[in-house]
Amino acid sequence: MPDPIHQFEIHRWQEFNLFGYDATFTNSSFYMILATAVASLFLIYAMGGKALIPSRLQSIAEIAYEFVANMLRQATGEHGMKFFPLVFTLFIFIFTVNMLGMIPYAFTATSHLIIAVALAAIVFFTVLIVGFAKNGLKFLKLFVPSGVPVYMMPIVVPIEVISFLSRPVSHSMRLFANMLAGHIALKVFAGFIVMLLGAGAWVALSPLPFIMALALTALEFLVAFLQAYVFSMLTCMYLNDALHPGH
Amino acid sequence: MSEPTDQRGRGDLSPEERAVFERRVQELDQKLDRVREAKRVEQSAGQQSRMSGRGMAYGFRMVSELVAAVLVGGIIGYGLDYALGTGRWLFLAFLLLGFVAGIVNLLRAHRKLQDEISAATGGDLGRPVADNDDD
Repeated sequence: MPDPIHQFEIHRWQEFNLFGYDATFTNSSFYMILATAVASLFLIYAMGGKALIPSRLQSIAEIAYEFVANMLRQATGEHGMKFFPLVFTLFIFIFTVNMLGMIPYAFTATSHLIIAVALAAIVFFTVLIVGFAKNGLKFLKLFVPSGVPVYMMPIVVPIEVISFLSRPVSHSMRLFANMLAGHIALKVFAGFIVMLLGAGAWVALSPLPFIMALALTALEFLVAFLQAYVFSMLTCMYLNDALHPGH
Repeated sequence: MSEPTDQRGRGDLSPEERAVFERRVQELDQKLDRVREAKRVEQSAGQQSRMSGRGMAYGFRMVSELVAAVLVGGIIGYGLDYALGTGRWLFLAFLLLGFVAGIVNLLRAHRKLQDEISAATGGDLGRPVADNDDD
């Protein structure tokens, strides 16, 4: 049986040492740079015409812009729009990386926990810094829900703190686990086809995993989009907490 | 157009012509109904698949909220135990607190989802929302 984990292996392409840190150029780095390049070139090319009546490509770029802009505006209000570059970059980057991962033989960078954690950490620390810079110590009101009697505070405050600290964990875990699980499932079912083809009379059953693999591929495309959407939507929600602490 | 052969003025229809005309109107009506019906079915199917995709995303979100909070609680408790040398008591206490925090997360995420659904259905929660899971 082909190894379903094999596709997630990191290959060190170009050894590179940066001030004592291992900054080796790997296949993961390559696919992230590729995703950045593809997304940037697409958006630059699509908006190159700047036509009043958009061409097809320009329409796609505008739909992407409006999709993210509406999401952010709904979650944070008009003054949250200064975080649009962050949210839009996260959305487009995750979406492109996920979609590139759907190409056969390609590598899915978001299926590694460390990439998802790095992205979630950017959001987490942005929320912390913006929250304290904008609200000062009032940001700590986030941990003190209104309308709770004082004698409940020793229990409620730790719960709120844990709830707050669990955000980057669930934020990153979700993205990474979805991409990892989907690709493994796809690979396993594809492996079943090969095994059945080489198993004599059992070959009659091989269409079953084939149908499954087909359905999973469609599902994976949906998941690739949904995870980018969910990640950026939660980013908006967390940013809203930084801008308006206190529930 | 040929000249009318009887006494009726221009634009008048003979009974046979009227019958043909009415039949054609009826046919067109039926055709339109079919097209509208097909469009409606297509739209609701589109909404269903959108909703089920979202349902899956939300399901996964709920799970990860709960697990993440328990994990973080456990790690904090373990770290405090290690730092303060209190054996395993804080680990147990914070594991429980983490679980509670997970439930709080779930309730918040659920409320958010409820708001979104009521926004999507125009505030009418009594209206069935497309959901095609197999339970």
